[in-house]
Amino acid sequence: MNDKAIVCACEDVTRRELEDAIRAGYADVESMKRYTGLGTGPCQGKSCLSAAMRLCAERADLPEAAQVPFRARPPLSPTSLAAFAGMPDDVVRRRESPVPPPRSSAGVHPLQPREPLPAKASVVIVGGGIMGLALAWNLAGRGESDVLVLERGYLCEGASGRNGGGVRAQWTTPAHIELAKESIEFMGRFAQELGINVWLRRGGYLFLAHDERTLRMLEAGARLHRAHRLATRIIDPGEAGDLVPELDTRKFVGASWNPDDGVVFPWPFLWGYAHGARKRGARVETFTRVTGLEVEGGAVRAVRTDRGTVRADRVVLACGAWSPAIAAMAGVALPNVPYRHEIVSSEPLKPFLGPLVTMMGTGLYFSQSMRGEIVGGMGDPDEPAGLNQTSSLRFLVRYSRALTELVPRLAQVKLLRQWAGCYDVTPDHSPILGETPGVRGLLQMSGFVGHGFMMAPAVARRMAEWMGGARDELFERFNVSRFAEGRFEKETLIIG
Amino acid sequence: MTASDALPARPLGFTLDGERIDGREGDTVASALLRAGITTFTRSIKFHRPRGPFCFAGSCGQCLMRVDGVPSLPACRVPLREGMRCVRQNAPLGADADVLRASDFLFPEGLDHHHLLVGSRVLGRVALEVARRLAGLGQIPDEPRPAIPGAVREEHVVVVGGGPAGISAALAAAHRGGRVLLLEREARLGGAALLGIDESAPGPAWVAEHSRALAAANVEVVLEAEAIGLYANDAAAGPGKPALLAVRRPVAAVAVLADVVVVATGGVSQPLPFPGSDRPGVYAARGLLALASHRGVRVGERLCVVGEGSELVDCARALRMAGYALARVVDAAGAWPRPSGEAAQQSAAGLPLLRARELRARGNPVTELRAGEEAIRCDAVAVALPPAPLHELASQAGAQARFSAESGGFEVQVDASGRTSVPWLFAAGRAAGAPRARAPDSGTRAGVGAADAAGKGAA
Repeated sequence: MNDKAIVCACEDVTRRELEDAIRAGYADVESMKRYTGLGTGPCQGKSCLSAAMRLCAERADLPEAAQVPFRARPPLSPTSLAAFAGMPDDVVRRRESPVPPPRSSAGVHPLQPREPLPAKASVVIVGGGIMGLALAWNLAGRGESDVLVLERGYLCEGASGRNGGGVRAQWTTPAHIELAKESIEFMGRFAQELGINVWLRRGGYLFLAHDERTLRMLEAGARLHRAHRLATRIIDPGEAGDLVPELDTRKFVGASWNPDDGVVFPWPFLWGYAHGARKRGARVETFTRVTGLEVEGGAVRAVRTDRGTVRADRVVLACGAWSPAIAAMAGVALPNVPYRHEIVSSEPLKPFLGPLVTMMGTGLYFSQSMRGEIVGGMGDPDEPAGLNQTSSLRFLVRYSRALTELVPRLAQVKLLRQWAGCYDVTPDHSPILGETPGVRGLLQMSGFVGHGFMMAPAVARRMAEWMGGARDELFERFNVSRFAEGRFEKETLIIG
Repeated sequence: MTASDALPARPLGFTLDGERIDGREGDTVASALLRAGITTFTRSIKFHRPRGPFCFAGSCGQCLMRVDGVPSLPACRVPLREGMRCVRQNAPLGADADVLRASDFLFPEGLDHHHLLVGSRVLGRVALEVARRLAGLGQIPDEPRPAIPGAVREEHVVVVGGGPAGISAALAAAHRGGRVLLLEREARLGGAALLGIDESAPGPAWVAEHSRALAAANVEVVLEAEAIGLYANDAAAGPGKPALLAVRRPVAAVAVLADVVVVATGGVSQPLPFPGSDRPGVYAARGLLALASHRGVRVGERLCVVGEGSELVDCARALRMAGYALARVVDAAGAWPRPSGEAAQQSAAGLPLLRARELRARGNPVTELRAGEEAIRCDAVAVALPPAPLHELASQAGAQARFSAESGGFEVQVDASGRTSVPWLFAAGRAAGAPRARAPDSGTRAGVGAADAAGKGAA
């Protein structure tokens, strides 16, 4: 037997892999967990987190205040969908005035780098999610390398690290279809361009229509898709059952099927873009919080942070659900509203599920990751607005009921961990892009309603070219001024 | 061993990969397999290394098996039943000769999946297809199953964990006039106090005496009830109750709404990573003590005990009391960074002690431990590190936990009354970093604090 020292036995993670992660800069346990897979198996870190922290503390010289566990995710031990599905309705009914989520702690993060920020930068990007990092890489690739990306947590702490990894070109507006198409093609060569695997698996997307009206909407979508040379077809429940034999085909009347859509592993996108941007000369600064924007004479002048002020004439807001709060620092009111969206991952199973499946009525969606887990979520019509990233039991129960009803054979599959992220929701479900009216140099790149991940490569490429002086109608079409002008770009195929 | 633990001799027949094996009533799947001399329970997820049980407490995930058509159940927690069908997972050609072990040798330092074959789009696609087919552990369940009806309860004070800290917390809260529900994961109260590790700390007699006191104080005790989730309560049920606890008992899920929760969840056995430490035949010392005490099973005659600090000495003595011969007791402080800062040795007199930082386990199951220059023959290796405080439940609810070299894990942070950073949440015992001997005191403080907090909440 090979004599490797295994630290995380669930995921076969070796001591050497942890040391490599620390050397690569993933030295806090949240980042190390994501980079190595440590603690993501059936034991959920109960048997490896302490050993990992002992190694981190020794090798990375972590300050004591940073020696905290990675976020503990319920359930504490693997528990079946059937058990959650059987919980009483009282657990599902929400209290009228919801309990406010715990406030995230203010103050300087113990892992904040000690070196000062530059006094000025050509472009400051607020938000180190997929949008901001992809933009930094594209800008630097065009010779604009005096770029500073500010992220308040670790890479992957926001929605880009919290989504289910679904990528699809099935949309209901031409702009979205083209952005997604180009992005998915780029994902196919991401490893060659950026040197890290994102494991794009094109298993297709299956939208199930629960009634005739919804099916007709999907049919209209499929006609538009074919005009954009997508392979989308409307299929009957029998054919959907051939694709996923475990589905209860009595629960839907038809489906929209595009075999070219797929799923990716989200985290390496951020690491890949961040690493690529840094290699091209951009700076990506984590654990750094923006505290203010300075506007003078109708133009943005500087970004204030908890590490000092950086002068810049161009500031990009790419902070997803946090964008309205940051924009408000410049006196700008964005119409975006944050909504929590919850997700859960199952135990790893041998591959059986090809497509990502979505049930239109309930907003249930699920797919099988490259690691074999069933990763899924579900919209909640009663979810109150707010920046809330806590998990709820209500979600586990609703999800378990919906999933086992559609796929009864999953009832005894066990759930391993749940988490939540925030959708950044705009009034017409289309993004906000381009210059802010009244504040020259303040550029918007937000409002992607939970699907920014699957459009970022194309959006960032076009934004970088537009910032370099190229004309592009995208930044007029999706300008925030459209809401004042009553011009909506309505996207209807939002899930979750 | 108490009388109630004595095993009746009634045999139970079951199958492993289709072959019939005899176990006994009172066995778990794991104890029955070990009694039959079977130590490889599964193949590991990436490298297809043989694996067997480690913690015997349902925590480590190393003994997962397919049982009666359901994937990845912990063999150490599944009670044996007549006719059970157990199948080892992730070993398409059989657990004893798994051809996919090749991956273990192809990637001797670990598998860097991030940078595997990134240079070529074609090879990348091949890697994707291969990785996809090899991923996962269990096959999808054979059969559907209807939802398991659950329940919802409303309580004042809920104590999670029935070891000395939890028992003390429940008693203190009850004496203070609170209505108290005590949840214990195992089929018996007592937790680590039943293992006979430390004579200066509460033992089985303490547990028996205080269990009677619980009954007298009208504390409701629910056994085989594992708290799996602790949330701020946003459900309509139990208005005003701030805590929502998800409890599995043993398969159905129960929601418990509470004014105050005391987390006294104890600790979790930790592996010591060294080459070969994941092989079958390397067990948690506390796991072996529980296996001997509760199931009457020993995994051989001669043990190597390896670990750090007073836990090493205490567990070695307890294992000898449980009938094992000690080949060597290896003080491995320094084998892994930042060894436990516990006051190192009360006297290790009478133990065959050896210090070594270079360790290597060999054989399947392990037959030899190399410790420094010495090659020690043994039937199994017992790992005795300080159990890591089980902070997870409190952490889920937002309580702060900090790493402590002392306890070798993350301790829930509490004030003098046992209260965490969450107003309705208290912690006691090992989970809050209290030493074994002081677990009852820390429980009593938290119980008093919890009862007072619940009283204020209700007023």
